[in-house]
Amino acid sequence: MALVTLQETTLAHGRGRHRHVVLDSISLALQPGERVALLGRSGAGKSTLLEALRGELGNAAAWCPQGQGLVGALSVYHNVYMGRLERTSTWRNLRNLLRPEHHAWEAVAELCTLLGIGELLRRPVEQLSGGQRSRVAIARALYQARPHFLGDEPIASVDPHQGARLLRLITERHGMCLIALHQRELALTHFDRVIGIEQGRIALDEPTSDLTLEQLDALYRPWTPASPG
Amino acid sequence: MCRCLFALLLTLVSVHALADTFRFTAIPDENEDKLVARFDRVADYLSQQTGLDVEYVPVKSYPAAVSAFRNDQVQLAWFGGLTGVQARELVPDSEALAQGREDAGFRSYFIANTSTAIAADQQRLPAALEGHSFTFGARTSTSGRLMPEYYLRQRFEQSPGELFSRVGFSGDHTRTIALVESGAYDIGAVNYKVWQDEVQQHGVDTDKVHVIWKSPRYPDYQWTIRGDVDQHFGQGTKAAVRQALLDMSDPELLASFPRAGFIPVSNDDYAPIRRVGHQLELLR
Amino acid sequence: MRSTVPGRPRPLADLLASNRLGRLNRVALGMIALTLILLPAADLSITVRDPWAELQRMTGGLLTPAFSQLSAPLEAIGLTVAFALWGVALGLLAGIPLTLLFHRSRLIRGLCAALRAVHELFWALLFLQVFGTSAITALAAIAVPFAGIFAKVFAEILNQLDPAPASALPRGTGRLSRFLYVEWPQARAQLLAYIRYRFECAMRSSLLLGFVGLPTLGFHLESAFRQGRYHEAGAELLIFYLLIAGLPWWGHRRLLWLLLPLSGWLLGPWPEIDPSLAWRFVSQDIWPPPLLAGDPAGLVQWWSRLPALGPAIGNTLLLALMGTAGTLLVALALWPLVCRHFNGPVRRWLGAGALIVLRSTPEFLFAFVLLLLTGPSMLPAWIALALHNGALIAFLVARQADELSPGLPGIRGLDLYCWELLPRIFPGLLALVCYRAEVIMRETAILGILGVATLGFQIDAAFAWLHFDTALLLLIITCLLNLAVDALSRRLRPERSLTAASCDSPGPPA
Repeated sequence: MALVTLQETTLAHGRGRHRHVVLDSISLALQPGERVALLGRSGAGKSTLLEALRGELGNAAAWCPQGQGLVGALSVYHNVYMGRLERTSTWRNLRNLLRPEHHAWEAVAELCTLLGIGELLRRPVEQLSGGQRSRVAIARALYQARPHFLGDEPIASVDPHQGARLLRLITERHGMCLIALHQRELALTHFDRVIGIEQGRIALDEPTSDLTLEQLDALYRPWTPASPG
Repeated sequence: MCRCLFALLLTLVSVHALADTFRFTAIPDENEDKLVARFDRVADYLSQQTGLDVEYVPVKSYPAAVSAFRNDQVQLAWFGGLTGVQARELVPDSEALAQGREDAGFRSYFIANTSTAIAADQQRLPAALEGHSFTFGARTSTSGRLMPEYYLRQRFEQSPGELFSRVGFSGDHTRTIALVESGAYDIGAVNYKVWQDEVQQHGVDTDKVHVIWKSPRYPDYQWTIRGDVDQHFGQGTKAAVRQALLDMSDPELLASFPRAGFIPVSNDDYAPIRRVGHQLELLR
Repeated sequence: MRSTVPGRPRPLADLLASNRLGRLNRVALGMIALTLILLPAADLSITVRDPWAELQRMTGGLLTPAFSQLSAPLEAIGLTVAFALWGVALGLLAGIPLTLLFHRSRLIRGLCAALRAVHELFWALLFLQVFGTSAITALAAIAVPFAGIFAKVFAEILNQLDPAPASALPRGTGRLSRFLYVEWPQARAQLLAYIRYRFECAMRSSLLLGFVGLPTLGFHLESAFRQGRYHEAGAELLIFYLLIAGLPWWGHRRLLWLLLPLSGWLLGPWPEIDPSLAWRFVSQDIWPPPLLAGDPAGLVQWWSRLPALGPAIGNTLLLALMGTAGTLLVALALWPLVCRHFNGPVRRWLGAGALIVLRSTPEFLFAFVLLLLTGPSMLPAWIALALHNGALIAFLVARQADELSPGLPGIRGLDLYCWELLPRIFPGLLALVCYRAEVIMRETAILGILGVATLGFQIDAAFAWLHFDTALLLLIITCLLNLAVDALSRRLRPERSLTAASCDSPGPPA
């Protein structure tokens, strides 16, 4: 029984004259417990696919968006806390904004220590480096404590060694993981399956055991865009 | 914040308590200088004479005074002729108590900028004013609006809008004089007392603006009291207030209105004003 | 005029031709063209004979203010500040929830537009009927329209934030939680700047409330001015200018915690409220009497006695259009006065003073002075609206220009204006003018002295005769008109180029 299935689904932006098809008639099934890497050039449609799956899975999946989506003016703690904002009352959220709650603080601190940003809890996010921000975004996703995980390039701005560690942390804690990334080596070593997107369709969908680095490289070869119409 | 919320809450739930302070309002037709200080003295005088706790409520305009009177926020008011009628129609049983000595035979003056070359004519409103620009005073003023309009319609059988090239409301007698003197408006209608006082104090250049017609006499300003004051403040309150007003002789107090003294008056004395108000469809 | 020498590039022409600004310029030029086309319909005659005696008395009085003649200056100043401060606070209290619902519900947007459409003075006149001349009337008269204004502007500021953090939130996050965690921290500076700007507006509103009898500085100013006591009026005006000029210092955020409770103390004593008054007002006063009596024939008669609606609406729209176009031109001409790129500190300081005088002087006062100069017509109303609003926008735009640094070295004067600064601030300027169109339409209301029969003139008359049913009908028409103008200005306004806040944010004068 697949966790989520797309059958000949077309994903598009906009409406009417402004409708722009990103992924045309794609089919896809994700199984529980699967670790899936999502590859493809920038703008191929990875984010669109992830957004669509997020819509399907709802709050069953933790969500780590592209470009992190952090609030620069707030501290690391508050950004991570936002992962569970819907589970507490507005009143409690307001109080927590003024004065952090003990339990939540402990939980966030533990998670951040694990991710190597335990020292930065009080620091506004706008003062952090790109790599540190990535980790805050991952911490926020982990703090959501969902069964599954959807990540849009969560490790784009960390070095490969750190990236591997972060991926392990993520996959350990979730059943199904679908993560978009560019590091092909990591896709082969840390995932069960790779989905490759090219020119608005799924060009590749294989278990990693059947794949080589060259096959993945092919996804990134230059291509001339088809004329619109 | 708390104080404010509390007060708001309080105001929402509190039932209207009987006002134990007797409040009055007055708007003089000229010289509002140091208004509050001067009328606080009038309040002191009324307190002394009637034994009530009297307070003066400053109000900006006659409509506001009428509203306050209607809503029992003031119990006694110094009204113009028309606003008094308006107030007494809104508050049944209210009564005109006293008017100024000058108010039994009040009149409006029509004034014109001399460059219009309209000659004064005491017999009737000069026909030459047709086609000029014209300003009333305040909208609900008896001497600056109601009676001038009445006499204009009587004489020309036309509305001011049809008669004049442009009709404005200066808002005040003093301003009417200033506007006509400067020629911004050709013609205006003013309270005769304000005109006389301005001329006396050299506040107006009579080479530039002059009186072209003086209206017949009509009743104007008066004190009006609510009908339910005896019920709220004890029997005889109305009589005591009337007596205190009629007895007022201190020139300093009287200067606030400004009147030479007060004489008794009744609602019926204002029947002409009432009739004209309804005729001009200003009163409903 | 060096840049118009033949052979030299003509920056203004290029500006008009450039693609990016093309649409904006069409809007601006279209507005000015439409104004010119309609101008013959406006009554702009000049009929004046000898204004000099009165003007001399006036300038003499204003230049030699007599502070000793003030009746209760301290209390009046205190209340002016207290009404403004608490009015803004309550406006925020109501405006923020409306902000959060703004984009969700057409009903809320309509409600906000209706709240904004009615001038503070008319709100005050409505509340006066129930609450008398009390602090409740004053606070409500400021807070109610301000809630609508805050909701609209805040919603637009929030709408232009980076959407990524909000979309990263888990599904089901409450609206208020989203505001607290995502929107407020991101938009804080902009929102605070806008609130600061609104506070200055509230000070002006508070002054105006004096005209209908609330005990602010305006109460004394209006009497003094109306009755020609110009020395006293001068003193009161000067105090008000100083209050506005000193706003960045005495109204500093750190002092607010002291000012709020202190000024709150002044607001009392609170009146006893009679609920039956409110009930009478909503159940009787605001309905046509024949309707309550069930008399259809009477209703027809009632309708026929209403003031002529066609001319009132026509005059209102025409004056609003002329005022808006005039505001645009005045703002274009005046902003360099206070811009650091054109002036040294001394000249900038003088320019700031001039703009404070222009934007803080109540329009009715301008109108009165201009009336003496031109005679009664739409002309003084037009000039008064254009000067007041133009000065306001010039000030905001100059703040924006101050933050720019010209890319070309050594460029000065008209070249700097046309080439470097104007192209960059023009979208912002136009956006502000479009916002202001709504305000200008409201302000046409308080120029009744000029005998221009706008809707506001008729509303004022209806209130004077206590015909609240007529007043309410006219207010509803005003609201509908405002909704239409709002919709139009939203279509014409440059999108995303600038929010109200990024420009409506006068920092303390540098």
